[in-house]
Amino acid sequence: MSNWPAETKYIGQNTPRIDGAVKVTGKARYSSDIQAAGWLYGMILRSKWPAAKITSVNLDKARQIPGIKAAVRARDGAFTVRFYGEEIAAVAGTSKQACLDALRAIEVQAEVRHEFVVNETEARKENSAQVWEGSANAPANPRPRENGNVDTAFPECAAVIEGFYSTPVQIHNPMETMGNTVSWTDDGLTAWSSTQGISSVRDGLAGALKLDHSKVRVVTEYMGGGFGAKFGAGVEGMLAAKLSKEANAPVRLMLTRFDQALAVGNRPSSFQKIKIGATADGRLHAFEAENYGTAGIGAGGDSGGGGGGADIPMPYIYQVPNTRVKQSAVAVNAGAARAFRAPGHPPASYGMESAMDDLAAKLGIDPLEFRLKNDPHPIRQREYKLGAEKFGWNQKYQKPGSSPGVVKTGIGCAGAAWPAGGGSRDTHGDAQINPDGSIEFRFGVQDIGTGTRTVIAVVAAELLGLKPEQITVRVGDTNFPPGPGSGGSTTCASVSPAVYDICQKALQQLQTQSGLADARGENWFAACKKLGVNPLVVHGQWQQGLSADHACGVQFAAVEVDTETGLVTVKKVLAVHDCGLIIDKLTLESQINGGVIMGMGYALYEERVMDDLSGVVLNPNFETYKLPGLADVPDIEVVLINMPERGVIGIGEPATVPTAGAIANAVFNAIGVRVGSLPITPAKILAALGKVPPAVAA
Amino acid sequence: MKAFQYATAHSADSARELVAGKGAYLAGGNDLLGLLKEYLISADLLVNIKSLPGLNKIEHGRKFWTIGSLVTVAQIEDDADIKKTFPGLHEAAAEVASQQIRNVATVGGNLAQHSRCWYFRHRDTVCLKKDGDLCYARNGENRYHSLFTGNTCISPVVSSLATIFASLEATAIVLRDGKETRMSMAELYQRAWENPLAHNSLSNGDLILRVEIPTARTRSAYLQASDKHAFDWALVSCAAAAEIVDGKLKSPRVALGSISPVPHQVEAANQFLDGKVLDEATATQAADLILKDAKPLEHNAYKVPLAHALIRRTLLKLKGEA
Ligand SMILES: Cc1cc2nc3c(=O)[nH]c(=O)nc-3n(C[C@H](O)[C@H](O)[C@H](O)COP(=O)(O)OP(=O)(O)OC[C@H]3O[C@@H](n4cnc5c(N)ncnc54)[C@H](O)[C@@H]3O)c2cc1C
Ligand code: SF4
Repeated sequence: MSNWPAETKYIGQNTPRIDGAVKVTGKARYSSDIQAAGWLYGMILRSKWPAAKITSVNLDKARQIPGIKAAVRARDGAFTVRFYGEEIAAVAGTSKQACLDALRAIEVQAEVRHEFVVNETEARKENSAQVWEGSANAPANPRPRENGNVDTAFPECAAVIEGFYSTPVQIHNPMETMGNTVSWTDDGLTAWSSTQGISSVRDGLAGALKLDHSKVRVVTEYMGGGFGAKFGAGVEGMLAAKLSKEANAPVRLMLTRFDQALAVGNRPSSFQKIKIGATADGRLHAFEAENYGTAGIGAGGDSGGGGGGADIPMPYIYQVPNTRVKQSAVAVNAGAARAFRAPGHPPASYGMESAMDDLAAKLGIDPLEFRLKNDPHPIRQREYKLGAEKFGWNQKYQKPGSSPGVVKTGIGCAGAAWPAGGGSRDTHGDAQINPDGSIEFRFGVQDIGTGTRTVIAVVAAELLGLKPEQITVRVGDTNFPPGPGSGGSTTCASVSPAVYDICQKALQQLQTQSGLADARGENWFAACKKLGVNPLVVHGQWQQGLSADHACGVQFAAVEVDTETGLVTVKKVLAVHDCGLIIDKLTLESQINGGVIMGMGYALYEERVMDDLSGVVLNPNFETYKLPGLADVPDIEVVLINMPERGVIGIGEPATVPTAGAIANAVFNAIGVRVGSLPITPAKILAALGKVPPAVAA
Repeated sequence: MKAFQYATAHSADSARELVAGKGAYLAGGNDLLGLLKEYLISADLLVNIKSLPGLNKIEHGRKFWTIGSLVTVAQIEDDADIKKTFPGLHEAAAEVASQQIRNVATVGGNLAQHSRCWYFRHRDTVCLKKDGDLCYARNGENRYHSLFTGNTCISPVVSSLATIFASLEATAIVLRDGKETRMSMAELYQRAWENPLAHNSLSNGDLILRVEIPTARTRSAYLQASDKHAFDWALVSCAAAAEIVDGKLKSPRVALGSISPVPHQVEAANQFLDGKVLDEATATQAADLILKDAKPLEHNAYKVPLAHALIRRTLLKLKGEA
């Protein structure tokens, strides 16, 4: 199907990031580094109450603080706040301290509502406080989705297990927090945004502020990650715009790590009650599940990247002839969820893959063999077999709980499916070819950190017979031809075909204009010289036949569990992934490394903790919102399956999907009992092993 | 943070004079600056004590060693003599926070640091320790809290150094009202045991000058268990020190951190261990004694088996080192 060259010099090889040097030397300017002339600091006043009616916000005293140039309300008139940390007002000033002082000088009158609920299990109860007055927090009877007939199928099973698997709310914590510098004058608005969607930020700002789209420019030269939460300008972007207008100066409003935990997205929790049965020959036959989770006050807040809702795909990658699935989202007084790296998939994978291993144990089958029997996908079949061999599965596998000693070892595996990853037809780009042979690509996409510039340079170098470092790439500016947001793992599959299109057109025109039969490689400079004084500008667009969607991927994990301290040490993760045609191995592997590390955080450490009584997030910092550090990270081995015939497919999301399931199963394999809840902490390991005494009444 | 004035003190007495009223001593600043930024405390004057003479040294005596209060945690970690003489102290120092923090964190600041209870550290919850009228943790999120307490606050002492110092029977020398006062580790935290408002027994103006460690106990060990492998607080920490004479323990002392507002020590256990040959059974009995009266809450009961394991391992480690 694909027209990509069969013999390659750069595609599928190891090209270091073309912007690596500017990044490590600090020359690269991230959105949070922007210092527009005359800029001011911006800061947000957030609700101290999880639920309240804000009756008045008086900014007068804040405006009198020396250095304060503007103060605005988040909303006009009286309004209701529904979670701790919801935006109330914002100020801009010449120093951080002036802003801090001003925030404390704002006078807020509120009717505090003492009924609120932050715990999803409590929120489902009939007598729970209501997040949205007059409507239940969760549907009383979610409609089941059914296939076949589970009621007759379960009695036909040789083995049935029932499990309860839960996953916590995970907070988006890109190294660069959310934020923008906004300059709004009569001539128009420029926003330097930390965003994964410059076009969606432009559309959002123009729409909300009633400006012509042509008057809004969004620039994102470098940004420090988004993971699905950075598609829009956000409330903080709108507030920065209003402050800029009032102050008549650019305003930089970057959120703090504290803010980041409250109001700008998260991955919903899941509480999965799963009943699953198989026939005596080890084939899945019946599956019944009830799942609920919370997306905070509501799902999909500001998520141009789709979803962010609490529903998850069940029974995930497995085909079961008889299924019944009921799901519901539960509202609580907490910030809204947003799309988060492979929305729905990591919790789905953890729940289903745990149930698979629990059932395999009951059947007395090797869990890998059980997967090969029940996962029909030919690519995952191939990946499991390849991975098992490299990992030494057959040599290492032992029955759950049979590892001797205090420190036990175990192995586990899990699979992924990612339906997106394909290209967006709305991807445009330009290249300007100068008579001196220099060439510059301009794409209105942004590099979320995955190496988009490098991808463009690699593809262009390959097709033009140049070196990647000879290609100048400019991205991250809405003045360039429009491109898609970096979501759904689509950027690589979007830009690569567009670069292909541009290169084909450029070569054709150069050949015509220069009279040379082949303008590539060593003829390049001669051909360009023939252009005379006028550069050649070529416009290109995504083309069919060069990209595809749907990636798979499987991962194997080996762990050690100290059964006295409960500490889990991940010794090794082997990640076998496919994403069609590999463009650059180095940036691809770094996506997979990052995906594994993030998945490991999900498995063992990360969890938003909220307090029932006060409604606050108790761990809005990296001290207690725990993330993997270097000492925690295992040996990660990446095994890639190159499938040029499929065209280009994205990898960012599938890489993080199966890690938690594989680690959880490895822990189960080591200790022989299931920890049915993420993160798998020492406390939960000790509890699962039956070592924890009952609490003494407080 | 609120505006404050800043002064550098060049003698202990002038430091004390400056700080009287609404001042605070500033050493490495790891803890103090965080508290100020979150508006959890306010000080009109920060008195930088890093230039006080003579307090940044480790001195070796025959009967005891002296560690100045301005010695950094990294200095302890890197000191080869300490590693040989007080291996447990080396181990404890090496577990504190991260390399960057250890580089600036001082012994005095480490001992005098404030509660890490996440309700205390939260800018918008006013609990007992902040003069509010309830302890949120007791019926709330108490996974990191105490198994023992003498008052209504269940925030534990988290200084890793306090745990090892307690087992070594070290003494803090504190300048109080112009006079040097000697405080055992138990005394240094006694007020936190009794009074929910207190983090330790120091009053405003009290200045830790140095810590004296008796050399009698030639063996020492420290272990902590955390959620992660590095740069993470101890869920429970445990230190033990003793001499071993003719294969038997002499003057053994066990202390635990993160399970009580004071370094948790049970004299009955120390007495039980005295004169015993260390083995699995003895260590287990000692652990039973040490944890006998634990009062686990809804989310911290896991600390009981965890502490039990650490006590056994730390004691057996004493034997391991020649
Ligand atoms: C993420 C993180 C993890 C950490 N992990 C650990 C850990 O595992 N173990 C551990 O022990 N600690 C840990 N810490 C705490 C850290 O070690 C302490 O904050 C540090 O030791 C404090 O020392 P300092 O010199 O910076 O104190 P400062 O911040 O300067 O002072 C702390 C307090 O002590 C007072 N003070 C300072 N010097 C004296 C003195 N000589 N006499 C009287 N009062 C004084 C100050 O007024 C202030 O109230 C961690 C901290 C962080 C942020
Ligand atoms: S344990 Fe102490 S510091 Fe924590 S909430 Fe209770 S009273 Fe406050």
